[in-house]
Amino acid sequence: MATSTTARGTRLPPEQIGYLVAGPGRAAETALARLLDADLVRVSRDGLVSAVHQTELGASTAVETVILVNLRNTIRFDAVVRNAAKSAEMRTLHQQLRARRLTRNPRPRLAAWWVFLAIGGVLSLAAFLEPWTLFGAVGFLGVAYWTYGAKPLTRAGRAALKDVTASDRVLAVALEGFRGRIGNQSAGELFGLPQSVVKMLPRKKKRKARATSAAGCGSGCGSSSCGGSSCSSGSSSSCSGGGSSCGGGGGGGD
Amino acid sequence: MTEIVNESSLSSARERLAARQAELLNALLANGPAPTGFDEQRLGVERRALLSKRRGIVRMLGPEVADELGDRFRLLFDAYAAEYPRRAGSRAREDAAAFEEWCRACGELSEKRKARWKFWQSN
Amino acid sequence: MAGIRDLGVGIGWRSEIDLTVERLPGVDFVEVVAENLHIGHLPESVTLLLERGVPVLPHAVSLSLGSADQVDLRRVEHLGAVAEAVGAPMVSDHVCFVRAGGLDSGHLMPVPRTRDALDVLVANVRLAQRNLPVPLALENVAALLEWPDGELSEGQFLAELVERTDCWLLVDVANLYANARNIGTDPQRFLDEIPLERLAYVHVAGGEQHGDIYHDTHAHAVLPEVLEVLDELCSRVAPPGVLLERDDNYPSDTEIAGELAAIRAVVDKHRD
Repeated sequence: MATSTTARGTRLPPEQIGYLVAGPGRAAETALARLLDADLVRVSRDGLVSAVHQTELGASTAVETVILVNLRNTIRFDAVVRNAAKSAEMRTLHQQLRARRLTRNPRPRLAAWWVFLAIGGVLSLAAFLEPWTLFGAVGFLGVAYWTYGAKPLTRAGRAALKDVTASDRVLAVALEGFRGRIGNQSAGELFGLPQSVVKMLPRKKKRKARATSAAGCGSGCGSSSCGGSSCSSGSSSSCSGGGSSCGGGGGGGD
Repeated sequence: MTEIVNESSLSSARERLAARQAELLNALLANGPAPTGFDEQRLGVERRALLSKRRGIVRMLGPEVADELGDRFRLLFDAYAAEYPRRAGSRAREDAAAFEEWCRACGELSEKRKARWKFWQSN
Repeated sequence: MAGIRDLGVGIGWRSEIDLTVERLPGVDFVEVVAENLHIGHLPESVTLLLERGVPVLPHAVSLSLGSADQVDLRRVEHLGAVAEAVGAPMVSDHVCFVRAGGLDSGHLMPVPRTRDALDVLVANVRLAQRNLPVPLALENVAALLEWPDGELSEGQFLAELVERTDCWLLVDVANLYANARNIGTDPQRFLDEIPLERLAYVHVAGGEQHGDIYHDTHAHAVLPEVLEVLDELCSRVAPPGVLLERDDNYPSDTEIAGELAAIRAVVDKHRD
């Protein structure tokens, strides 16, 4: 089974990699991919997902379990991903990732953040002449730091994704989503899914696609569209595709 | 071997067969009296098998109704099925819709499901 | 009419497992439930299989040819239209009745094995045949109960049906096994009595033993005992085709492939 190693040497399962790459929608896609890979669910041409056995036996994570339990009746492919992305189990997964300091609350960057930096800098220099301006310098530099924004991934989170490649089809979904491309085919095709099924998942708009890859990724998976999660600017393999990896999160939003 | 079956003998054969088949289905589906000559225990087995198959189809066609009824689904369906055996020419979807209506009339289902069911039916 | 062409090993196509059927290795032919298909709107998967050259045989469940009433020609017409839409060499239904006295049993009920029932069945089958574009094969059903005063054995009943209508036979070995367990049919005698040269193909399906009753569920694994009946049949005749039926509780692709391989092993054993 595909795993990755964090900076601390712990193994990161594909579902968590999916979360770190593009949030709960991607983690849900990854969980579904793992179940497909293990022959525990099947999808029909009209996009209906059903559990192969009427038990949750074989599920390896809480999110997989909740998917299997809900599949006592057949459910549309996109709804499976959406329901799993919104599940309590997914929120728990998010909390676990935060507790392990792999992800954090993202803050958008203010366009004029550098103004605060500049004023803070000037005040710092002025403090050599007028020491009381140091208070102002600290204040402005603090605001500059805050408005610079924070990416959802911590340094440890980025490190965890650093060497992850699409070495198997579950990891391919974690990194690119079912709609994402691996070489000349979509990751969904690695599972034999027809395009009509894969396209049930929403493709996220490439907002600011022309911007730098870091900004593109950050905005593509902002707190609203991906449920307060993340996309790594440091992970070149997942983000150099110009936002496609951030998109296709599938179901994080409505 | 005679290949031509006389028309009038065929129609009387149809009549005799019709009576026997109707009697059997009436016993199996509508709580009618057991036809003579049949093993009573096997009639029970067949009755339960037919009921179980019909119940499974209605559950599959209306999973929301079955989910809302939960443990009551089986008992309610069995009561409905004995009262309303499936008519020849009716469709399974009509059966599922009729069961839902029946439950609603009995006050076993909440009202909010109704809109969703109608939406589903229109597809 | 000449013999049926070699079909090989197949599986019942169902929309829930359409992708599985498409990617399974060794699916030589498929069967579709005629009542589930709409002319002009063939499922994409069926069209794809046809393009690959996989024969698609329509299988009907609602003609109710054993009913006392005359056969419903609209149903026959639909079956014929499906056959033409998929270019099928033959169609099939069951030796059974579904409707009687204004009620619908929802299942394939056995007919009494009497002269009356046979005369009516023959008349209905002939009418259906006249209204179908391709030959008709008829399948033995699984019974949970036995009609009283049967005048013929099941094998004799089917043999006479074939003789009088020139229909083909679709022998379901799981149903034969079920009848052996439930109503005491002797499979050896059954196979001795039916005209095996009129065998179109064979059905294999799974089921479950509940107390002293075997239920032909099509939702469980194929029992080894059912494969033994297939083995017995294959020792007498090389069947033109053998098809696995699964209608619910679908297992994994691997398990389905395993069942197909087990069927093929039995068939091949007698071909060598």
